[in-house]
Amino acid sequence: MLNELMTALQAVATLQNFLIMAAGIWGGVIIGAIPGMTGTMAVTLALPFTFYMDPVPSILLLVALYKGSTYGGSVSAILIRTPGTASAACTALDGYPLAQQGKAGKALNMALYSSVVGDFFSNISLIFLAAPLAILALKVGPPEYFMLMVFALTTVAGVSGNSLLMGLLSACFGLLLATAGEDMYGSFRFAFTGDMQAGLSVAPVLIGLFALPELIKLIVFRNPPKARAMALGDDRVSGKEFRGVAKTLFRGSFIGVILGAIPGIGPSAAAFFSYGSAQRSSPRGQNFGKGEIEGVAASESANNGACGATMIPLLALGVPGDVITGVMLGAFMIQGLTPGPLLFETNIHEVYMLFIGMLLSSVLLLFAGKFTMRIFTTIAKIPPTLLSPVVLLLCLFGIYAIGNSMFDVVVLLALGLVGFGMYLLDIPTAPFLIAFILGPMIEENLRRALATSRGDPMVLLSSPITWIFAALILFVVALTARREIGKANQRKAEAQ
Amino acid sequence: MTSTTLRGLGIALFFGIVIWVLIPGYVPKPAFLPGFALPPDFWPRVISIAGLVFGLIAAGLGLAGQGTPALPAEVAEDDTPMGTLLARLGLLVAAFVAFVLLVDVIGFLAAAILLTGAGILLTGERRLLAWGAGLALILPVCLYLFFTEALGTQFPPGLLFN
Repeated sequence: MLNELMTALQAVATLQNFLIMAAGIWGGVIIGAIPGMTGTMAVTLALPFTFYMDPVPSILLLVALYKGSTYGGSVSAILIRTPGTASAACTALDGYPLAQQGKAGKALNMALYSSVVGDFFSNISLIFLAAPLAILALKVGPPEYFMLMVFALTTVAGVSGNSLLMGLLSACFGLLLATAGEDMYGSFRFAFTGDMQAGLSVAPVLIGLFALPELIKLIVFRNPPKARAMALGDDRVSGKEFRGVAKTLFRGSFIGVILGAIPGIGPSAAAFFSYGSAQRSSPRGQNFGKGEIEGVAASESANNGACGATMIPLLALGVPGDVITGVMLGAFMIQGLTPGPLLFETNIHEVYMLFIGMLLSSVLLLFAGKFTMRIFTTIAKIPPTLLSPVVLLLCLFGIYAIGNSMFDVVVLLALGLVGFGMYLLDIPTAPFLIAFILGPMIEENLRRALATSRGDPMVLLSSPITWIFAALILFVVALTARREIGKANQRKAEAQ
Repeated sequence: MTSTTLRGLGIALFFGIVIWVLIPGYVPKPAFLPGFALPPDFWPRVISIAGLVFGLIAAGLGLAGQGTPALPAEVAEDDTPMGTLLARLGLLVAAFVAFVLLVDVIGFLAAAILLTGAGILLTGERRLLAWGAGLALILPVCLYLFFTEALGTQFPPGLLFN
């Protein structure tokens, strides 16, 4: 393994790759710092450009954007109390009060150091966990894969939005849309037009669903975030302060890795969990929410700690755990690579290059964060009324360029409207996208399992692994239902 | 009937249409299927039946006064008249449709410039109009040059410029 890692290091350490990763990190930090722009948007907007790149640099660009935007989300959270990404919501709780006290720079620096530490841990865990998991995955068959994907889908449906039922419905819409086009035996399903015989491409569906609804919301409701960016002020994190939060940093990173590796959980839940855990165990717990630097460290180490870990199920099993890794799965497919256990047999060199690139990107994140800090207050002031049409333009050109097809552009615009409709009906879009991406694989594994068992559905519960996944699915459903019943009772009590 | 119930019924209706209209009409069954292979309509039918059941459960929860609200809180609290909201959405949809139709006539670049300009105007931006106009003109041209010169993409030139 060491030899392969050294060979990969030589292959990755080129000026071109450094520039690509630096651009990705820097672009991600800037995009994440703009209120209303998310990491998902950063990664989806870059997807069309990766079409023209080699496989490894293209994935490294997306990973760099992901990491950069996850840190960048903390910038607007600290400076204007508007988290750039959902995973930075906890950062705002202590980061903004610190900024009000004239310590915005200190909060930003702590967020940066915590992000880098979390990110480093995450990458190390990816390197050591992905390959063994892939080897294990080689021993499982279609029924186990089917149950694993249903588990991933149920988890995403449970944690996205306000209702498991709406999450499951969203997944049904995504699965149904994925059936359009040619099936595995050559039948054309829902081929309303000639263009639809090939099915819908991943890129226009996901970009339409995640990038365009923000523009449509802005046009229809016209309520852009209005907040004044705070000055940086005191920006030094002392050695004593850093040592004081070291335990929280490591715990946050560990939480991020564990929750990031479970499909469907991801950085946001990790940040909330880590923040709550730090608040309970810290001697300064009563200061959390009032400008406690440890709160920033807890949140940021966990959300960046989850970034690399979300790649574990993607690379080892071919199962994306969240929307961003779903986009990356699309990028892998565009490049002709299929994530999953076979990737470790057929493209091991590329996998190691990816690992090395991800480790290097942790270092780049530190430099990009430092160099960008002075312009953060300007970035956070860019009006969304000018920014959103720019996003639309990037989507149009990018999507047309991928397939040279106006049909893809029509799909993009239509899915933007669908995404807006789902927002209006409070139906989460993440399960839709994950279901759309996993749909063909779920169907193929189900059909293979049923074909080998001569149509007996009990094949889906025929091995200990399938029982484990069935139990996990029931556990997720029960846990989510319990949480929702609790919320409903609380709403009733508040109404009375 | 509450909006939560209507949402559930609407979703159930959609999946009902898929089961009884779209699958019979647009998922042809092949004359021969090997071994125990399942027919192509099996999976869409399973998904649609699940969607129909979930939709009916959502409607039932609405009738029982349970279930999550059918509108996000920020939308429910928005006091802009419904007609205004619908007009803005209608204008945006019209701009999208016009873009798709105009690509064949005036080409991708010119249509993109018009759509960007329309997008900026529709956001209600009036204070930075000069910036908006500059952006709507310059950015599409830059992107066009980047994609055509650097990446070799051929955008539709349109009948007028062909």
